Amino acid sequence: MKKEIVKNERTGEQYTYIKHPTGLDIFIWKMENYNTTHALFGTKYGSINTKFKTKNEPDFITVPNGIAHYLEHKLFENEDCDVFSLYAKTGASANAYTSFDKTCYLFSCTDNVYDSLEILLNFVQTPYFTEETVRKEQGIIGQEIRMYDDNAGWRVFFNMLQGMYKNHPVKIDIAGTVESIAQINADLLYKCYYTFYNLNNMVLSIAGNVDEDKVLELCDKLLKNNDDPELETAFEPEPDTVCRSEVTQQLEISMPMFNIGFKARPENGIEAVRAEIETNFVLSLLADESSEFYKKLYDDGLINSSFSSEVFRGDGYFCSIFGGESREPRLVRDKLIEEIERCKIEGLDEERFNIIKRSYYGALIRDLNDAEAIATTMINAGMEKVSAFDVIETVANVTFEDVEKRLKKQFNTDNVTISIIEPIDVKEELS
Amino acid sequence: MAVKFDRKKIGDGIHFTTLINERQKTNTVMIHLLTPLSAETASVNAVIPYILCGSSKEYPTLTVLNKKLAELYGAVIKGSVSKLGDTQVLSLMAGCINNKYTFSGEQITEEMTGILAGCLTAPNIVGNGFETKDFELKKQELLDDIDAEINEKRSYAFKRANMNIFRSEPAAVSVKGNREYAEKLTAASAYEQYKKLLAAAQIEVFFVGAGNSANNCMNILAETFSKIDRHYEGDNHSYMSPVKSDVCRVTEAYDVAQSKMVMAFKTEYDNIVSIKLMNAIFGATPISKLFMNVREKLSLCYYCSSGLNDKKGVLYVDSGVEHTNVGKAEAEILNQLEAMKCGDFTDDEMENARRALINSWKGVEDGARSIADWYFNQSYSGRSCSPEKQIEMLMNVTRNDVIEAARSLKLDTVYVLTGKEAAE
Repeated sequence: MKKEIVKNERTGEQYTYIKHPTGLDIFIWKMENYNTTHALFGTKYGSINTKFKTKNEPDFITVPNGIAHYLEHKLFENEDCDVFSLYAKTGASANAYTSFDKTCYLFSCTDNVYDSLEILLNFVQTPYFTEETVRKEQGIIGQEIRMYDDNAGWRVFFNMLQGMYKNHPVKIDIAGTVESIAQINADLLYKCYYTFYNLNNMVLSIAGNVDEDKVLELCDKLLKNNDDPELETAFEPEPDTVCRSEVTQQLEISMPMFNIGFKARPENGIEAVRAEIETNFVLSLLADESSEFYKKLYDDGLINSSFSSEVFRGDGYFCSIFGGESREPRLVRDKLIEEIERCKIEGLDEERFNIIKRSYYGALIRDLNDAEAIATTMINAGMEKVSAFDVIETVANVTFEDVEKRLKKQFNTDNVTISIIEPIDVKEELS
Repeated sequence: MAVKFDRKKIGDGIHFTTLINERQKTNTVMIHLLTPLSAETASVNAVIPYILCGSSKEYPTLTVLNKKLAELYGAVIKGSVSKLGDTQVLSLMAGCINNKYTFSGEQITEEMTGILAGCLTAPNIVGNGFETKDFELKKQELLDDIDAEINEKRSYAFKRANMNIFRSEPAAVSVKGNREYAEKLTAASAYEQYKKLLAAAQIEVFFVGAGNSANNCMNILAETFSKIDRHYEGDNHSYMSPVKSDVCRVTEAYDVAQSKMVMAFKTEYDNIVSIKLMNAIFGATPISKLFMNVREKLSLCYYCSSGLNDKKGVLYVDSGVEHTNVGKAEAEILNQLEAMKCGDFTDDEMENARRALINSWKGVEDGARSIADWYFNQSYSGRSCSPEKQIEMLMNVTRNDVIEAARSLKLDTVYVLTGKEAAE
């Protein structure tokens, strides 16, 4: 077993990284004086991983959309009971989530930490599905998919991804579609489970009031040895350009909502972390609440305080998104493009860069208050094979020149998609 | 290490609560202004905290204020408005990292508290009102927010249900008021209302963080408040909502794929800890009767859970249902409540629910916001019970207490937001 203490001088914080003989990466961050412990057990398997191969199956296969999320639902069922009823005995509050590139099972508790950890390690390693239980889940997941059909914030985002990406599966809803989940059966679930829920492809992350030795003792007892299947995932090639520049839909809302996305080339590992951070600086400099640009659009009534921006990235995709509500979303897009092109020529504001740097750093310190935020940072870093302190160090060391370069690299104003949700025009509907 | 609680009077109807929590890497200051909810003033009150947190006399625009806050390592000042029973709560919150994490030990917590005090008591006034352009934007945002309530169907259904559950009570008023009153607001009328609130509202201040800044912040605020001419109108209270003699049934049709149903039960039962345990067994956890039966076993709802408004004596059941299953879901929810009333729940179910509550209450002290909200809720009800003390009380709740709590619940309102085709 390989064990390493990872320290950060800037904050005086540290955590332990353990490479377990079963292949599992384990991260433990002890938080003195806290009552809460937060644990995450996750696999690098999300909605986008629909095409893969292993050493046992040398040809790539493609499976229906929505399996990762479906598996998450089904793992919560053991042969004889529901996982929640096991946690009921420890008092832990448990949950799980599936994102584009990972599935995580988690609990948060104040008492009985090791009993809860035992439940977590056991149920995630013990799949049980039959054709009957799989069919029953189709109803529940079908309702979940339909629930999101009414959610304008969700729709405006996915419509943008559908406009932006030609081939990458990031454009498909995480839960899949009613049609794709109809193709899921117990065999497919087992196949994907044994491919992706291999400890070599997984991470355990724990932050809070825990004893490292006790955690490792439990891991030794409960982790199952498995052969490394040498998993490889792949995506269809994705062009640099967007698929469609505009996507619109109507829903019963009061004011148009928009997402404006700038498509860029994805990177990996520490380069991806750096790209995200530098792009966040660009986004703040261009259009955060303190920017002249924001003030101008806000004063002109083109945007309201719901206006915000973010980086959205993962395996094979990277884009910068501006979202909000506006009566004239297309004009907001045009102004944004104009501002980006102006900044490429005239440069960004160095004084604001220094202020934003402090502010960004402060927000990262704030995250260190919270067991959940820390455990989540560790699992994300662990899956990307970077250190949990890389973000804070990159922020502290980023230079103004890096950010100006990033603006030119990451914002091609030809590769833009706008997604708009318009209010249903009642009069039109009646006629 | 428990959080140290201390509540001091620092002015007429003004209290400062200190919550010393050495594990926090941040300091948080919250100022709550409490005032009775009413349709006439809800909208103007809803716009005030946002105006106050967007500028001040010293920092007259959002841009300069935000720039200053960013220099303080991304300190945050933000306004919000919420409802507590029959009371409207206007809040100004400020937070920053602890002085010891700054690059050179700057006293940023004190500086931030001074800025917050300025936002509250020395706003950017032009003539006899708030600065017009800023006010008009905030007013437009309020109108947009009111209009946008329909975008999120689950909370919209909840809002519509509340109007029926509380009918002529203050709690029926939406937290942002309604369009009719919001449209009439002017920069001058908002300023007048602001002056009234500053003089008359109950004010509760909370400091959460490391001990080294707490006293400094209290002194800064006490000094600020001492300059205000106060005409305190007394503490705020809520009244238990009376149950209607006939169940109120309302169905409304919108363009939605899935129905949302809100059921409300009322009680005058005053043992809050017992009713919290009853609620946890019934519908507040993923091992509750509603989740296990209505959602999991019968697949009738995508979500189905219960919640309490203990200030008004109301237990809600909130569910998302396929249009065709609304009747079945209602019958099954009532069935599950009947089981509670008959004592048809196992000791395991009760102990599991108890553990879930203990788990969540023990975690309250780990978060700044959660511990401040805890004591704010307590002080509103005239108590100062710590999470630890409440856990002790919970340990003494018996099966009979739970049954009694369940039996006190009477169905008052069933509100359904359904699809247009389904309604036809």
